[in-house]
Amino acid sequence: MKAIPHKRSREVEAWLKREIAEQKTRYRKIVAEQDALAPKRDKWVADFLQRIQTRGTHVHFNMMRKVRPEEIPVRPKRKFRVVF
Amino acid sequence: MARPHIEPFVDRDVAFRKFTMPGFPKGMQYKMLSLDPDSGACSMTVMYEPGYRQPPGMSYTEYELFIMTGSITVGDKVYGPGSYFMVPAGITIGALSSPRGATGLMFYNYGEPSFVESDSDHPRAERGKFAAVNAYDDMQWQSTNFFPATAPGCLVKVLHFDERTQAFTFLYCMTPNFWQDNISYHDCAEEAYHIWGTSWMMQFGDLPTGGYFYRPPYINHGAFGCKLGTLALGRTDSRLYNHFHFNPWTNVEENKERAASRVQHWMPDLYKWINTHGHNHPVDFDFDHGHAHGDMAHHHGDGQVEHTHRKKRRRRK
Repeated sequence: MKAIPHKRSREVEAWLKREIAEQKTRYRKIVAEQDALAPKRDKWVADFLQRIQTRGTHVHFNMMRKVRPEEIPVRPKRKFRVVF
Repeated sequence: MARPHIEPFVDRDVAFRKFTMPGFPKGMQYKMLSLDPDSGACSMTVMYEPGYRQPPGMSYTEYELFIMTGSITVGDKVYGPGSYFMVPAGITIGALSSPRGATGLMFYNYGEPSFVESDSDHPRAERGKFAAVNAYDDMQWQSTNFFPATAPGCLVKVLHFDERTQAFTFLYCMTPNFWQDNISYHDCAEEAYHIWGTSWMMQFGDLPTGGYFYRPPYINHGAFGCKLGTLALGRTDSRLYNHFHFNPWTNVEENKERAASRVQHWMPDLYKWINTHGHNHPVDFDFDHGHAHGDMAHHHGDGQVEHTHRKKRRRRK
């Protein structure tokens, strides 16, 4: 039994409505902040793609393998989204 | 509708607010971390003001409480930092007080926060599933036992494991100079709160003390790094599997399709069975049959996988 069926009061519905509205605002702020981080993220990705060719990528626990240059993925033309 | 992707969010950037939900006594404050708009299930940072007193009572939904600072008293026992409670729906806990105040994390898993004053359990409550432990004093760190596993230096203490969904709640730490050079996604939703320390992820940057995320399934995260160490509380809503790769630009649909392809190759018989049965309603003999209780999603060969039946009621003769 994860939850016991019950009826929500009007006060509870109003509280939820406020919280849902605030969460939407919070989500939009996060998306904007993450969009602004794009130049730094591009640098981090470039560094990562370099490291996995030299030091390797983690496969399991301490097992790593070096990625061959021809395995390096090509960036697609679509927008690079990190928040969905 | 499930919870949105909230990542990253630092609760230290916002102030506590008075918790005014009907039923709860005065003296509790909160910061909302994430909320399911439909069910009202939510995760919050909470603060019990010094002198807080709550009579014995229960919640309509299962909830979890983790004490970060200060202490609470339940009955005649004092619970300090690291104390963790798993309280199933309808279980009454004794009078709760916090003479000097406390902060904690609270997770209402299947419905909005509720408190009903009561001296006894609800008739449908499952008392045997109540758990209380001090995660700092009573448990030791262990390596993750996932395969494939996270890199060395990420250690866990499993606080709760749901035998049906394999959802689990865990304390985790990253040792100083922890790093993991791959990208991961999971079939489950995942959330975590940084009790102390800063870690870094290639997509989102630094997540400091007070940092939080709620991440729906199939969203890329990693590479990872942590310079000085991190202590955090994590949760999943179902089984966690590390789908590792190194393509930074894949999206949710591509990740999901890859996961489905992996099921096809790892469990070919099961994959075939699922895709050829017209009435897709698998029954686990260990648990209640969904049709009898109307709570299990399935489809009737039409692909409408969220379909459910209402609980059947017997007509009075």
